[in-house]
Amino acid sequence: MTTHPIIQFSQASFSYNGHIALEDLTLDLHEGEFVGVIGPNGSGKTTLLKALLGLIHPVSGALQIFDCACQALRCEHRARIGYLPQKEKIDPNYPITNEEVVMMGRYGALGLMKRPGKKDREIVADALDAVDMADRKDRPFAQLSGGEQQRVLIARALAQRPKILLLDEPTTGIDAPTQSRLVELIQKVHKDYHLTIVLVTHDINMISSIAETILLLKTKLYALGPPAEILTKQVLSPVYGEEVIVAKRNQQPYIIVHDEHHHA
Amino acid sequence: MLEFLSYGFMQRAFLASLLIALVCSTIGVFAVLRGITFIGAGTAHAAFAGVCFAFLVGISPFFMAVTFGLSTVWVTSYVQEKGKMNPDVPIGVFYTFTMALAILFIGLMDGYRPEVFAYLFGSILSVSPSDLLVILILSVGILLTMLLFFKEFHFISFDQEMAEASGIPAKKLNFLLLNLISLAVVIALKAVGAILVFALLVIPAAAAQQWAKNMRSMMIYSALIGVGASWAGVLLSYWFDVPSGATIVLIASAIFLFSVLFSGKRRIAGRS
Repeated sequence: MTTHPIIQFSQASFSYNGHIALEDLTLDLHEGEFVGVIGPNGSGKTTLLKALLGLIHPVSGALQIFDCACQALRCEHRARIGYLPQKEKIDPNYPITNEEVVMMGRYGALGLMKRPGKKDREIVADALDAVDMADRKDRPFAQLSGGEQQRVLIARALAQRPKILLLDEPTTGIDAPTQSRLVELIQKVHKDYHLTIVLVTHDINMISSIAETILLLKTKLYALGPPAEILTKQVLSPVYGEEVIVAKRNQQPYIIVHDEHHHA
Repeated sequence: MLEFLSYGFMQRAFLASLLIALVCSTIGVFAVLRGITFIGAGTAHAAFAGVCFAFLVGISPFFMAVTFGLSTVWVTSYVQEKGKMNPDVPIGVFYTFTMALAILFIGLMDGYRPEVFAYLFGSILSVSPSDLLVILILSVGILLTMLLFFKEFHFISFDQEMAEASGIPAKKLNFLLLNLISLAVVIALKAVGAILVFALLVIPAAAAQQWAKNMRSMMIYSALIGVGASWAGVLLSYWFDVPSGATIVLIASAIFLFSVLFSGKRRIAGRS
């Protein structure tokens, strides 16, 4: 791991819908790090992502990304942050091909009123290749399965040529075999593209097997460390309640929490 | 057979309906995909109130139509932002408020004013040379702006949050798009009428969506359907002496119904 912090929160607080959603966050994330963000509903996970995307700004404290304050993040920096939003149901008649979806990843870097050129088309082709969807580039995006749509949206994020990749509940609402293929893909792009990954999830067991660092939120930074340190009853119980069960499965800790699943 | 083309009013009707249909049906694609068509209905009724006010006090109806029409976008965007509500709510309020104003203005006029009702029901055969010039200038302006920001409008229609996150000024562009939709409705007001202009915005795009694989094809199909229905409507209205706006909308509706029933896309979507 390199030592240069790519994302720095210093005593940063963020409000969302009028109340403080994330308080006094001080945290460095380093280039190439794979961070899993967990926490119950309303713990500030989505707020953290929106802050990293520059959609909301700190009400106090500071957030620096690539050494510039997030308020001042210019377009070319924004383009360095790829984002996979939480899966939404999309109109099955929306007329857009997979290639067009991925090309949208180039729009931010291109700037207003400019048309994509040869280089952009090459980047798009590479990105589609990386997620194994090159053969379906002309198919309508809206008619793909949920897992395939996620792959195309990851390709869109990759087409931005990002340094940071933010993933919001990438495996929610996807069947188990597809989930594990998606997780493999995320690990692959993390390595191949030297990305810093921030992945927000409800699925503690999935994330503990792939992230180097776990960030546990409960409207503030509750715990931060490698999975083995975080996934203990002592750390999890105060956040998720006494019902937390820490079991063993294949030599790995296996966590069962009572956490209402809902899509906000 | 083609002797009708030698009449000035028919030439103007064909040209005006070409421009109006082109503008409404292409910008309608963004409105339909983005789910913001209701702003078109709101604008139409507000613009009609503007026209009524203009006739009441004796000023340019077109100028007042633009003012009232665009104010729909400004007022509802502001209220929506302030009140954090679904845009349909302020548009719904503004829609009925301006319609009430229109009825009030009509009530205050002396006697029956047939020209007011031309704006309500549309009369493409009465487009004057100066009307046509205004339609031409605004149409070209709207189409050029759309062409300039085509990829951005496409992006925000597909996913506004993502567009914003990747550094595109999505909120400003969305506001621009709303203003363009509003202007498109205003220039179509006299030809198609306040009640039916909404149809020109929604129906060609919705029919086109049934056949289209990508954005480009949806734009092209929508324009063809819009212009085709408008020209057919103008002809039928001339031959059979029936109201033009209603004829155009009825033809477009028939195309929409046909598209829903027979497009291959619908069958594929139904199967999966």
